[in-house]
Amino acid sequence: MLVLSRKTGESITIGKGITVKVLSIHEGQIKIGIEAPKEITVHRTEIYHLVQQQNRQAALVVKSSVLKAAAMLNKRKNSSEKSV
Amino acid sequence: MNFKNRRFGKLDFEGKHVITFSQGLIGFEESRKFLIVDDEDSQPFRWLVSLEDPEMSFPLLDPELVVPDYNILQREEKKSTFVVATLRERVEESTINLRSPIVIDNTTRNGKQVVLEDDSLSLQHPLLSQPAHLLRNE
Repeated sequence: MLVLSRKTGESITIGKGITVKVLSIHEGQIKIGIEAPKEITVHRTEIYHLVQQQNRQAALVVKSSVLKAAAMLNKRKNSSEKSV
Repeated sequence: MNFKNRRFGKLDFEGKHVITFSQGLIGFEESRKFLIVDDEDSQPFRWLVSLEDPEMSFPLLDPELVVPDYNILQREEKKSTFVVATLRERVEESTINLRSPIVIDNTTRNGKQVVLEDDSLSLQHPLLSQPAHLLRNE
């Protein structure tokens, strides 16, 4: 890992076209501004990992689980239609 | 054209049905071409099936079936919004990801998994949670 010190208003440039700027520092929280080409996605790291984990679990689903969930949703839909 | 997927076997499709995810899905960035597959047995779920990785398919759901006012937050014209469902053997443990839906532009056939800024939206919202007016019927 490369470690750099930056002050408010200073920035770093990564590769071509990616700039990360320190906007403000307040009570342990740092606001950063990121400029990057459109095709580069930027995510909060912990959210990225959580979404990745959910996607991975979703892709592993076995058929019996799908059938059960589908049956449950269809049953619910029918009972709500009856009550209207 | 056709593609052999592990879950569905041989899928026949036309070019116009292909959805391009130029950034892939989150954590699965290498697969870019997908198809929406409707499988009668698993309705109301639909499937987002990779046309590059035979092992890859994701169950999708119309979020309004679980959270009726969900799409109001991000409805855009000519775009379809789906949530990815994580379905478990115990259906009570099954969840949907409200925080990062799949948005498909029906005109350009481009798709994207977005991350919404609203951190009150759960990544693991219970599939069987339901609005109060439906609870009486159970």
